[in-house]
Amino acid sequence: MSETVSKDLHPLEKTLLNWLSEYGPGSDTEIMAGTGMDEGSYRRALQWLLSRDMALILSSAKTVTVELGPIGSDNLEKGTIPELALLEAVGSGTSSLPEIQKNELFERAQWGSAMGALLKARILKKGPGGLVLNDPSGGVFPAIWSSVYSVISDGEIIHLSELDEKVAAEVSGRAPRRGKSRAEFVINETTSSVVEISAPGREAFENARGRSTIGILTREILASGEWKNGSFRRYQVDIPPSRIHIGRLHPYAMFLDSVREKLQAMGFQEMKGSLAESEFWNCDALFMPQFHPARDIHDAYYLEDGVEVEPPSRELGDKVKAAHENGGKTGGRGWEYTFEWDRSLKAIMRSQGTALSARTLGSNPDIPGKYFGIAKCFRYDQVDATHLPDFFQVEGIVLGEEINMRHLLGLLKLFATEVAGATEYKFVPAYFPFTEPSVELHVKHPTLGWFEMGGAGLFRREVCEPMGIDVPVIAWGLGLDRMALLALGLSDIRDLLNPDLARLREMKSTPEKLLGGEDNA
Amino acid sequence: MPKIEIPLGDFLSLAEMDNTDNLEKLLESLKAELDGLNEKTVKIELNDTNRPDLWTAEGVARGLRCWKNGAESHLDSLSDPAVHIDVHSDLKEIRPFIAAFTATGWKVDDDGLESLITAQEKIASSFGKERKTAAIGFYPLDEISFPVSYAVTSPETGFQPLGGEGEMTLAEILLKTEAGLKYAGLLSDFQKYPILRDSSGAVLSFPPVINSHSTGRVVAGNSRLFCEVTGTDWHTVNLTATILACNLEDRGAVIGPVEIRYPDGNVTVTPVLYRDTLTATLEEISEMIGTDAEELDIEALLSKMDYSEIEIGEGSVTAVMPPYRRDGIHPRDLMEDIVIAIGLNNMEPVLPSEYTVGSAAPVEILARSVKALLVGAGCEEIMRPVLTSFDKISTRTKTPEPPIRINNPMTAEYGVVSNTLLPALLEVESSSGHAAFPHRLFTVGEVLRRTGDTLCHTQMNLAVSTGDGDFGTVHSILGVICHLRGLELSLKPLDDARFIPGRSAVILIDGEEAGILGEFHPGVLEAWGITVPVAGFELPLESLRG
Repeated sequence: MSETVSKDLHPLEKTLLNWLSEYGPGSDTEIMAGTGMDEGSYRRALQWLLSRDMALILSSAKTVTVELGPIGSDNLEKGTIPELALLEAVGSGTSSLPEIQKNELFERAQWGSAMGALLKARILKKGPGGLVLNDPSGGVFPAIWSSVYSVISDGEIIHLSELDEKVAAEVSGRAPRRGKSRAEFVINETTSSVVEISAPGREAFENARGRSTIGILTREILASGEWKNGSFRRYQVDIPPSRIHIGRLHPYAMFLDSVREKLQAMGFQEMKGSLAESEFWNCDALFMPQFHPARDIHDAYYLEDGVEVEPPSRELGDKVKAAHENGGKTGGRGWEYTFEWDRSLKAIMRSQGTALSARTLGSNPDIPGKYFGIAKCFRYDQVDATHLPDFFQVEGIVLGEEINMRHLLGLLKLFATEVAGATEYKFVPAYFPFTEPSVELHVKHPTLGWFEMGGAGLFRREVCEPMGIDVPVIAWGLGLDRMALLALGLSDIRDLLNPDLARLREMKSTPEKLLGGEDNA
Repeated sequence: MPKIEIPLGDFLSLAEMDNTDNLEKLLESLKAELDGLNEKTVKIELNDTNRPDLWTAEGVARGLRCWKNGAESHLDSLSDPAVHIDVHSDLKEIRPFIAAFTATGWKVDDDGLESLITAQEKIASSFGKERKTAAIGFYPLDEISFPVSYAVTSPETGFQPLGGEGEMTLAEILLKTEAGLKYAGLLSDFQKYPILRDSSGAVLSFPPVINSHSTGRVVAGNSRLFCEVTGTDWHTVNLTATILACNLEDRGAVIGPVEIRYPDGNVTVTPVLYRDTLTATLEEISEMIGTDAEELDIEALLSKMDYSEIEIGEGSVTAVMPPYRRDGIHPRDLMEDIVIAIGLNNMEPVLPSEYTVGSAAPVEILARSVKALLVGAGCEEIMRPVLTSFDKISTRTKTPEPPIRINNPMTAEYGVVSNTLLPALLEVESSSGHAAFPHRLFTVGEVLRRTGDTLCHTQMNLAVSTGDGDFGTVHSILGVICHLRGLELSLKPLDDARFIPGRSAVILIDGEEAGILGEFHPGVLEAWGITVPVAGFELPLESLRG
């Protein structure tokens, strides 16, 4: 753009360019309000700039609005339109036009044309005794009152496009293009544009102001001091940023880590175990009888023949066997069946995190002690929206001389408020093969509502005695999948382990969202 | 967990309730959940797998009555047996046990019949191990001339099975009827099959498969019933018979015991009533509930749970479990019932006061440090299941070490246990061709590997891969991690089927062999349908500890 052209800028153009360069892009109304230009001046200036490519129309939209004409305003004041008043008269027994025309609410001609319209629409018909109601619904006319007059009287603007098709047609028909002084409705069409300054426009404007424009700030501009004589091109700061892909932790891993942190803060130490377990540690040590339906619910994956896990000591095995067969030294009578050692040694994929707790009991745990494990577990289930082939369970134990039922409830209460951020909770009697008494924790989460958050109980003596543990032990487990899904904005559990990187990149990093505690209150 | 569906009117009348207000809460004392409720039926889920008595309408209703009114008596004035069953020899290996009783004076109505059928199905299928340890038969008593004989017979014996068109042999029943096909497995080891006949020789049933059409069909209107339970486990058989007898007694029937005469001369009158007596000291009760047991009305509490003969003596409590229960195998079981009767929500929660120090597992702390570095290197973390397929690990990726297989996989897709993490990253790469490049991926997870010939062990691994990256890219990532952890990294060339010859190496950390690194062979990429070059490395996380 040459100096001559920019010097040619008209004062109105300069006003407009000045506004666009400072505040643009903007709509017609914003620009007129911002510059103080009247519509005529603005349109002329814009036309000039557009013709020289110094401005761009980003978008323009046509709006068609309905307003009341003089007749319409009269009707609104009278509280009805002739058609409806006429229908009312016929409805109350007045059946001849001359009779009706005695009513001076409307002019005789208005009554007449209303009758014409109603007959044409077959809402009225002429019977032997005069006018008769043919269509009690009143056709389109009640809607003209309710969706046009009433809305306008409420001070709202009506867009023709938003009206019912039939109503819109009737309204258009009553909005004459000429003779507006007798019009019932007036239809206004306006076009509203959003205008932006173009690069040549900006350059011309800057040149007109006699200064250079700095785009990208470079080392050279800084070194030369050139910026002191120029002005900076204004960036359009409200456009969305481009997406970049950054290194990040998996949100589900972060969720599990935040649970790990919570439990550490409560004084729990973490246990680690093996993906593969013997049935001994997975079931037998937990006093689940080898024949029992309770074992069916833990249907397991067996490892290929010839692959084993380290067997338990025979001494420990015999104690567990005795507890099963006749109670051993536990003070009970056991399950009264023949315990099969071979079954104990079968290698399976760990089906419950409690196997970790059993192993901890059997390896001289701290007393008092608190333990937790976030363990991969494997259940024989079809994979679907709520089941994965393997999933994490969070479980643990609390051992101590003083431990009793009330501590168990206290611990569950702590989980409800600290881990789930629950507002209410309740305890329900439950059944687990290895605990007695057994309790389920139900919590009311601010977002999820009531749900079963976990289970707990006092380990049976038949579990503790063979391990040489003679203090009470609380065993607990928490189901966190639903919380994880909600925290991460997912509904299908398979999305937690999705192999599609594009979808993973959409997964929100909000693992702490649902966890309790003051920070998140 | 068993679920039962009961006609609502029948349930309310059995439970002596006017309406279902508060039902959900009341069911908690039975470890039961309200699973559905409308004007016609109530659905209940029972969570205690040791309480088959609760898997029936009568059992749940009884529990609710006792909770409100206290313990009831059960089968406590049985007459002497009026009829008997002769058990013949040769059943010992096949199906040795039988218990039976008669129930008279209650006219079977539609709801009652439905309840009998539900009890038959739920108890025999789950508690009775799909009819192996217990199967149940009901008969109109007046069709039977006693004594009944329980014997074995040839598969060629014939009778008309319930619902059948005409006479069939036992062998045909096993091959051609729905029940026969379902339960044939229970008899497949035997040449002869169990049979119940009356003294006229008429067949009552072919246990555990099906009743006879002529004598084994109970309909609404019958008011005199005969019930038998056969099976391979005496306690399961007898407890099942006891539960059914208690249920029919609750409906108004008079139960008549039946004498069972065994071939060795032994005689048992069934049902044999259990009276499991449990004793707990007040001290252990106090210790467990955290409140002084002396202050509790233990008699009232246990009565709510239908215990009888409750005696509170010198420092201890003794009580007898009702005959339909046999799950009281330790004093703790008595104590749990006391806790349930007190109400868990009536106990004040307290926190353990003993101080303990929390800590994460060392390998998790290490993982956190290493993951922080990888994120800094621009890597995105991936999580995939541990179970995977042989195809992914061996066929496509060409991992030299075979993974451990699952003996009973649900599908081949999850037929092996991961012993390496690189295939999971390749799978992500093959699913992510549309995701903007470059891809820098890492995963930290447990894998299962063989130890020696037979044993296996779990190990936490780290794998990193780059999509649209080469040997140098992954080498640099590993290099900076080792540098920032103060470890000395070197590579020793080693060809490996997964990688391009001459572009793979053993990772040495502080001179120790730790893992492998390389640029994946185009053949591997092709097998995965990957269209960009991929390089990667994998090592045990512990090797980065230093």
